[in-house]
Amino acid sequence: MSYCVNCGVELSTGQEMCPLCNTPVINPKDLSKGKEAFPFPKEKGQVETVKRKDLGFLVSAVVLATAITCGLLNLLVFNKTAWSLAVIGVCVILWVILVPVVIYTKQSIYVSVFFDGVSVAVYLYMLAYMIRRDDWLWGLGLPIVLLLTVLTEVFILCVRRLPKSFLTIALYVFTAIGIGCVGLEILIDLYVNGVIEILWSAVVVTVCVIVDITIITMLSRRRLRNAVRRRLHF
Amino acid sequence: MTLFKKKPAGERNERRDWYKLDLSAIVYPTLQRRDFSSVYRLSVVLKEEIKPDLLQRAVDLTLPRFPTYKAAIRKGLFWRYLEPNSRPGPFVQKDVKNPCQPMYFKANNRYLVRFYYYRNRISLEAHHSLGDGTGGMCVLMTVTAVYLRLLGHGEIESGGFVLNIAEAPDKEELEDAYMKYANAKVCPPRPAEKTYRVRGTKEPFYTLNIIDGIMSVKQVLSVAKKYNATMTEYLNAVLLHALLTKQEKDWHIRLKPVRIAMPVNLRRFFPSKTLRNFITMIYPGVDPRLGEYSFEEIVEEVRNYMRFYVNEKHLRGDITTNAATQRNPLIRVVPLFVKDFVVRQFYTKVQDKNSSAGLTNMGALKVPEGMKPYIERFDIYMGQPFSTRTNCAIISYEDILTVNFASSIIEADVERYFFRKLVQDGIHVKIESNREMIAE
Repeated sequence: MSYCVNCGVELSTGQEMCPLCNTPVINPKDLSKGKEAFPFPKEKGQVETVKRKDLGFLVSAVVLATAITCGLLNLLVFNKTAWSLAVIGVCVILWVILVPVVIYTKQSIYVSVFFDGVSVAVYLYMLAYMIRRDDWLWGLGLPIVLLLTVLTEVFILCVRRLPKSFLTIALYVFTAIGIGCVGLEILIDLYVNGVIEILWSAVVVTVCVIVDITIITMLSRRRLRNAVRRRLHF
Repeated sequence: MTLFKKKPAGERNERRDWYKLDLSAIVYPTLQRRDFSSVYRLSVVLKEEIKPDLLQRAVDLTLPRFPTYKAAIRKGLFWRYLEPNSRPGPFVQKDVKNPCQPMYFKANNRYLVRFYYYRNRISLEAHHSLGDGTGGMCVLMTVTAVYLRLLGHGEIESGGFVLNIAEAPDKEELEDAYMKYANAKVCPPRPAEKTYRVRGTKEPFYTLNIIDGIMSVKQVLSVAKKYNATMTEYLNAVLLHALLTKQEKDWHIRLKPVRIAMPVNLRRFFPSKTLRNFITMIYPGVDPRLGEYSFEEIVEEVRNYMRFYVNEKHLRGDITTNAATQRNPLIRVVPLFVKDFVVRQFYTKVQDKNSSAGLTNMGALKVPEGMKPYIERFDIYMGQPFSTRTNCAIISYEDILTVNFASSIIEADVERYFFRKLVQDGIHVKIESNREMIAE
């Protein structure tokens, strides 16, 4: 039986510190700690996630039915062009996006984003096949998809691994916008003119850099950072 | 012809395949967030270790007796409702360190109750939309009685909180008692003044800090008598005193009133056997802007408030005010998602700011004579507070009084001031906690 010297309350056996004031419990006559059972379990519980199997099944069935019926309609009735590829491609993208939401919720976000990128690339390929012209696909479509996928992956990596706060997320967003716009203009220039001539993206980058510098200043000054947090907390 | 043949009245009423949510229960689901559910916990500490397989059998045998607890919550176009849940479960599970976790409506086979065991303790966690502490206590006590009978203690009789599981549920147990008694001719206004809010550092998802204080009923009663107060009035005053001290010691621009939200069991004033919600809130408090209060003055304020407000007339007026919104035809036709939005805004901006802490007193629990030798004590937790504050719940059994604090902030200042005041008044307090303290 131990008492907190600070609060005067008796503490349950197994308690190494007073839960009220954090004062350590030292009983010079009994230095063996942790022998007695703790009044509460040590294991933390996990919140049970909602199983959405039925919704997953419904979504899969609707997407599959749309794709098959459009394919059959294209094959048997309106068969002059392969228009159903556009619909089937959208169904594939939808299904791939919905997999981590309703079917396999444990899927890593990096894998999900990778598959999203792949499904969009496949869709573009289907469109190119449909219109029988693929120079835009290799010159512009796929590089943009690749750029955006990589940027999204890096952004998620930053949010998850680096310090996360309202300000740091704003920093990552503006940096990503800046890089994305420059990349986009370079790819468009290379496809259209064959030479890189940065114009509009320079304006976007300038704005992003100003915002980034402001945020970095705020992050490096604790008082400023706290003032912003106080005013913007939600 | 048989298709349209009218069944006799009794037969028609027996089979219910859905239940309207009661007046209080309407609010709780709208406050549901990813990190918050209105879940409370009741525990009974027995004198011997729990056998999980027998406990599971006891739960399986007992729960059909409580149709509104063996239920799932569903959304209609205008209101939510309860419907019987025949899915497997609920399953008893090993207790966890962080109780009263959020209860998602579609998880756990759609059950809104959980049963835990840890050493000698059986715990029931229930979503408040199913019922209040009295209803939950009936479920827990009946499960405990059935469990003890399965252990071979056949002498345990039904009565009080222990219901007979062989009987069909009484219609009155399932009624919305609010609507029966919300018949005052006037709707008194609700108090709406911003009160002191306890500031603290939020714990990460999902942590519930618990501090239990165990003391002697006789000792607390004798101290309360010295102040010429009942036990509830005295403990209320101690909590107000702790909140006032916290406010004074914290940095502040100006002082704010300190008020406690305290549910009152309406069954004491209006005869009802309902196992669903039948409580209303009262708000005892003091205003430090009027001057400094001594502890004796706080006790007097609380005593006067309680004796003035806690009576059948005032409580009837209060539930009539609450029922008026639900009865209004214009409000009834508004789609559920709009109601959800409005109720959530009202609760966050007005109702939640109306009190600095929550305090509930289940009172002295009575159990059937045959059960007494097997029970050590009871615990009750109000669950996670909606905002950064502390909730306090009190329950007593025989000579053991337990005061259970639950909060989701790191600081335990309010609890410390509370228990230190009790110690100063000469009460012996034993503390148990699930907090893991960090050596400074």
